[in-house]
Amino acid sequence: MENFSLNYELVKKFIIEFIKEEVHSNGFNRCVLGLSGGLDSVLVAYLSKEALGKENVKAIIMPYKTSNPASKEDALVTITHLGILYETIDVTKIADAYFKKEKEMTNIRMGNFLARTRMSILFDKSREFEALVMGTSNKSELILGYSTWHGDMAASLCPIGDLYKTQIFEFAQFMKIPKKIRTKKPSADLWPGQTDEKELGAKYIQIDSILTLYVDQRKTKDEIIAMGYSQKIVESLLNRIKKTQFKRTLPPVAKFSPRTFGLDFLYPHDLTK
Amino acid sequence: MKIKIALAQINPLLGDIGKNREKHLEFIEKAIENNAQIIVFPELSIAGYRLKDFTMEVALPVDSNFFNPILKQSKKIDIAFGFVERGDDSNIYNSAMYVENQSIKSVYRKIYLPTHGMFQELRFMGRGEKVTTFKTRYGNFSMLICRDLFHPSLLFLTYAQKTDIVLGMSSMPLRGVTGEKPAIQETVEKAIDTYTNFFSQFIVFVNRVGFEDGLGFYGGSFVGTPLGKKLAIAGILQEKLTFTTIDLEEIYKKRQLFPLVREEDLNIVQNNLSRILEENNGKF
Repeated sequence: MENFSLNYELVKKFIIEFIKEEVHSNGFNRCVLGLSGGLDSVLVAYLSKEALGKENVKAIIMPYKTSNPASKEDALVTITHLGILYETIDVTKIADAYFKKEKEMTNIRMGNFLARTRMSILFDKSREFEALVMGTSNKSELILGYSTWHGDMAASLCPIGDLYKTQIFEFAQFMKIPKKIRTKKPSADLWPGQTDEKELGAKYIQIDSILTLYVDQRKTKDEIIAMGYSQKIVESLLNRIKKTQFKRTLPPVAKFSPRTFGLDFLYPHDLTK
Repeated sequence: MKIKIALAQINPLLGDIGKNREKHLEFIEKAIENNAQIIVFPELSIAGYRLKDFTMEVALPVDSNFFNPILKQSKKIDIAFGFVERGDDSNIYNSAMYVENQSIKSVYRKIYLPTHGMFQELRFMGRGEKVTTFKTRYGNFSMLICRDLFHPSLLFLTYAQKTDIVLGMSSMPLRGVTGEKPAIQETVEKAIDTYTNFFSQFIVFVNRVGFEDGLGFYGGSFVGTPLGKKLAIAGILQEKLTFTTIDLEEIYKKRQLFPLVREEDLNIVQNNLSRILEENNGKF
């Protein structure tokens, strides 16, 4: 397994300054975030509070009827501990109104719909609260595309998007996030019993080792397998990366003019500073 | 001498070198059935164009076994194709290979890699440095790749080495849709018309088709002749295998009708270039 340790004091300082500068330079003082009670969103809540102050951070809890009640408890514990603002919006009625009309809702369709419903609420709340939407995706799920396109992937900023899940665990310990939240099984909680590791077919330490070898060290598939990693898992992860690339790019525009959005109309995101 | 040439205006899959090789073999088979003596594929025909970070993953050394099935077919037909080359200097190049009778006759590394606007080639590949001419049983050939064709200096270098046929292998995206033809196609046709006229050589222009990330490669392959004809016009936006027979005698005729070659003096060119470089501290 690879070594993932980082200078978390520096990482913390860096991410806090990033949040401050990005939020302020875009003309805002506040942020909203979807707080599921899972480790990633809790970590982002901690960082956002330190960057912007408790009165400028609003957590939105958006449970569905099948959501694990323990998640909501962890979200409330976090809110109380940090003293940030919050609102609970149960998405059951909104989602069920749609689900009722559809004949065959699969887990995937329901999960995606819930993620996009939450996205829709978060962006609406960001307008009401005059805030930016804080993303809570980590590097492992971004690279694997293990998230809903235009759902939980949609955000104004991604403060923890370059930390593998394995590093999130270590960083969370450094940030003194309660053990109960740090040690539960990572899950998107889109349906009962869902866990990341079950769905991805391996432990996060194994997944992240394969990812960092491929992504950061540019080892080939064969080289990674030769290091002793399971061929089945390596292939499945690398396939996920390729198959989900569309989620990490802008949609292609059919180019025929001299300058085209996404191709050669290349102004930076932070241009308005 | 008369030569039958096949222009393989294909749509390579982005990054799938296995499937692209299959497509090469299919087109080669058809060209052999039609008694063509040479088949020419576009730039990066084995790899696809907009590879970005994937460039490294599809790079192949010139002597890779991957090319064996293509080499095998070169018993029956000469083949020119494009690929990402893993150089023996540990650099990566946008290269073209010419194979004849089961051996590699020439490998050309693209010199001018556009890196502006929608183009990012120098971010992922190194720059070639040498324009060569190689002798085949069908005459003297040179290969140039896409943007190279917009640098008359490179065409001049092929002319200076008595190239009969330039293979211009391209992945040129369409832009400009106000006129009857895409503006880029007008530009390419004008350029080729000029080069073939003044350098009295043939240019086999093979451009790919298909879309990658919104870039639409327009095709429009054809052969330009020294007497100003356009042959094997492939049309745009469709995969197509077109054939034409060219007569090298045309070069001789043109060079007598318009004897620029007799006037040409490479010493004057060299002396002036040396002086210009000296006056500018060795730079352009």
